[in-house]
Order: sequence, then structure tokens, then C-alpha cells
Amino acid sequence: MKRMISFLVAISLTLGFTSAIFKSAQTYKPPRTSEGLPDLQGIWEAHNMADADIQKFLVGGGTLPYTPEAAKKKAENARQAKKADPLAQCFMAGVPRTMYLHFPFQIFEGTGYALITSEYAHTFRYIKMDGRPILDGSEFWMGDSRGHWDGDTLVIETSGFTDRTWFDSSGNFHSGSLHVTERISRAAADVLTYEATIEDPKTFSKPFTIRMTMNRHTEKNFQIREHECYAF
Amino acid sequence: MPSDSAGMKTRQRRESRKDQRFLASILFVMTLLSGFSMVALHAQQGARGEGAVPAGPVKRRPDGKPDISGYYNSPNAGGAAFNVEPGPAAVGQPATQGAITDPPDKLIPYTAAAKAKREELVAHHLYDDPEAHCLPSGIPRQTYAPFGWQILQPDGYVVMIYEAFHAYRILPLDGRPHLPANVRLWEGDGRAHWDGDTLVIDTTNQTGKQWFDMAGNFSTPTLHVVEKFTPIDSNTLNWEATMDDPAIYTRPWTISARITKNNTPNYQILEFACHEGEQDLIHYTQEEGNPTGGKAKKK
Repeated sequence: MKRMISFLVAISLTLGFTSAIFKSAQTYKPPRTSEGLPDLQGIWEAHNMADADIQKFLVGGGTLPYTPEAAKKKAENARQAKKADPLAQCFMAGVPRTMYLHFPFQIFEGTGYALITSEYAHTFRYIKMDGRPILDGSEFWMGDSRGHWDGDTLVIETSGFTDRTWFDSSGNFHSGSLHVTERISRAAADVLTYEATIEDPKTFSKPFTIRMTMNRHTEKNFQIREHECYAF
Repeated sequence: MPSDSAGMKTRQRRESRKDQRFLASILFVMTLLSGFSMVALHAQQGARGEGAVPAGPVKRRPDGKPDISGYYNSPNAGGAAFNVEPGPAAVGQPATQGAITDPPDKLIPYTAAAKAKREELVAHHLYDDPEAHCLPSGIPRQTYAPFGWQILQPDGYVVMIYEAFHAYRILPLDGRPHLPANVRLWEGDGRAHWDGDTLVIDTTNQTGKQWFDMAGNFSTPTLHVVEKFTPIDSNTLNWEATMDDPAIYTRPWTISARITKNNTPNYQILEFACHEGEQDLIHYTQEEGNPTGGKAKKK
């Protein structure tokens, strides 16, 4: 019983902390880079279980709005997940999954671009912010991204995906028609708020959004190393 | 006799399968290479063709350091992607002029033992080139891996992103020390600083598993590479890389190349989804089909 109570206390503390973070997101003003951009730069990592099942991070709760056909495939994926998860074969993680893997990633910014480098399988996302269009219709593991600043929030639109990546290790999946809109902002000096809205009419009956926080690595001289998935 | 005739047929079938496999392996290598050279050619045309921008003076950042950001073509460097030394044409390999500018004989100054190991690799293990298994090229090979690449200069760093093997190098400019020697990275641990207008990159902590080219020029974990990127004008970098490794060289050696910008409008680095651990070359060249005469190891 004591354990139960301390568990409940921990949960409510976490929830309180999380809601405080989301509130402060509206008030925290990030510093500027040398080029005057909102500064989201640094090495970040999601310390949560989103990679186990994104459904727990669904804004508004509930279940992912699969079409009946897609729900069957998701159930099949879940049964085969241990082997069928693309990460089990060291494939690139795709978007948004690369952002909440248990590997650090680094954000760089400059005029006309943002760059996100992940430790997992040395993958990077170059986000065009110079008016060049998305190469839609192409098939990339990591998609093709274009970004813009909405106030202090980095908004990234990504499409041009293969249908071969998953959202998590539980078999949540998508088609090649996936379009992801991410909103990344700083809730506090060392906390990012991360949102991803998933649109894929071939798989889902309506769009949905997942939301979570990510933390900065503040260890001295911390750096992205390499997770050579195959050859580590 | 019927049995002999059957045996003959089996033998013929086996021979023909051998020929097919040998042909397939050559075709595979040729496809890889022609893919490489087409990309390189495309990149070259990009630099000279419609996207050509007349070279001006070296651009400057607000802090006065050179602005070398932009898209670059990989340098041909005397055929360095195939062989950093001068070499004759071989199966799937053109003749190379070599990229080595020191020592003057354009040969890597191997110790006797290291030279023997290299010859063994050439004779029996060319299929073990890490690039054939989609592993990152390592330093300095990443620079002349024949695909486009890009330099970015965000606050406090120089970052290089490469189409080849979707690799990147994050090079801090803050003078921090190298990682402990027991940490080994395919792209090494790079530290950058500006020496006047020259970007100097000091790279250690490599795995020792990467090669310099497709010709068996190998490395060890104690390899120390110092690169110098010096802008000549707004479109051109002079690049030098000096390799030191007492474990296998009798003296340091240097390769050099001119690296040109790719100013093609709307050019971007695409995704090179080479799958780590790729085994095709081993499968194609296994046993009798191996044009280098080697036996594939079971992994």
C-alpha cells in the first residue's frame, strides 16, 4: 500500500511537472543565435517510452485513429514486432521516430537551414528553410523536410517517405503518403517541447498529434558519438 | 558413356554457373563504380555548367573568419577513391595517378610488415572494403568519396554532412580535448580551429577498420590525421591531409586536392540509403566467383 501511495505521488508529481512545463512553454523566451534566430541548439534526448508505444503520448488521449484495414495490419505488426521492427535490421528510423529514440540528437541552426544529427545510425536531417520545396513523391527513409519559424517555434513539414519505417517498436506504422508536421520549442533552458502531427489518409481516418518533452544533455563536453548499428 | 556424359553436363552446368557468378560479380562492381563516376561527373557538371558562379574573393563571416559554407563536389584527386597511390587499371578499377604529394614517390611509406599486409589484402580481401558493406568512409576518405557534400558553420562548430553513407562530422571549435583513446569512431573524433584563414582539423579515435580507398590501403586505431582546408577564392578550397601512424608508417605522408563548390541552383544532398552491414559484394564474389581470388569469410 505504501508503495502504491508513493507510486501515485510520483505520478502526480510527474504530471504536475509536465503541465508546468507546457505552461511555461508559453512564457519562456529562448536566447538568440549569433544570427538572431531562436536558439534551440544543443544536444537533446527524449527520456520517455514513446519509442515503445506512441499512443501513450497522444494529445487528448484515446487510441490512434487507424482505418479498420490499417488496424488489422497494426495488430499483425505488433505480433511480429520483435523481428519486423525496421530498427531490428538497422534501417534508418524515419520521422518522427528518430526524435524520441533513446539516442541523443543535436540541433544546429543557421540562416536558411536547421540540421538535426542523430547518434542512431549516424543519420541526419537537413531542414531547408530557404524556400526550396519538399521533394514530394520521392521515397526517403528520413523524408524530405522544409522548415520555418513560427515565433520562437521551429515548424518542420516533412513528406516524401518510404512506407517502410514505423513510429515505434510496437508496430505503429504509416504509408508512403505520410506527412509530418513537427513543432519544436524551448519550454525552459534545458527542456524542449516536441509535437508531431501525423497525417496519412491511407492509414488513419483523421490526423493526430503526439506531444512530449525532451531534455538537454548538460554534461561537460558531451558530444554525439556513433551508434553504428551493425558494426558497433 | 551415359554416366560420363551426365558428369560432363553437370560439370558444364557448374562451369557455366561459375562464369555467370563471375560475370555477375564484375557487373556488380562495375555498376557500383559507374554509379560513383556518374555521380562525380554530375557533380562536376554542376560546378561548371548552368550553376557556375564566377569566383570572387573569399567570403567572410561577421567574426572575420572565412565563410566556407556551401555545397562541394568530391575531388577526383588522381583517382583517390579507387587508389590513393598511382596504380594500373585492374578489374573494375581505372588506372590512378595518385593523390599523394609527400613523399615525392607518391607511395604510402609503409613499414615492411604493413606493406606485406596491404599486399595480402589486395590479393585476397578486396571485397572486405568497409565501404562495400556501407560502413562510414572514415577520415580522410570521406572527403573524396565520390558524392556531394556540404559545409555548415553554425555557432561554435564546423559541421560537414555527406551524401556518401549519410555520414556527418561535427567539429567543435572550442578547443576541447579529444575523447579518451578507448572510444573509437568510424568518422573519428575531430577538433577544428582556425589558423589564419586555414581551417585545421585534428582527427584521432578512428576505428582502424577503415580503408583509404578500394585498393587495400588500410589503417590502424592509432592513425592521426591533420587536415587543412584553405579557401583560395569563393568557389575553391585547397585541401591537405597528413597521416601519421608509427604503427604502420615509417614517416608521415600527405595527400592534397583542390575542392570546388557546387553552385547548381536547388542542389541538395539526397539520402544515400546504403544499408550498414551490406553483404552483396561478399555473396557475389564468394568462392570461385571472386575476381580477386579470395575466399569469403563467414561472418
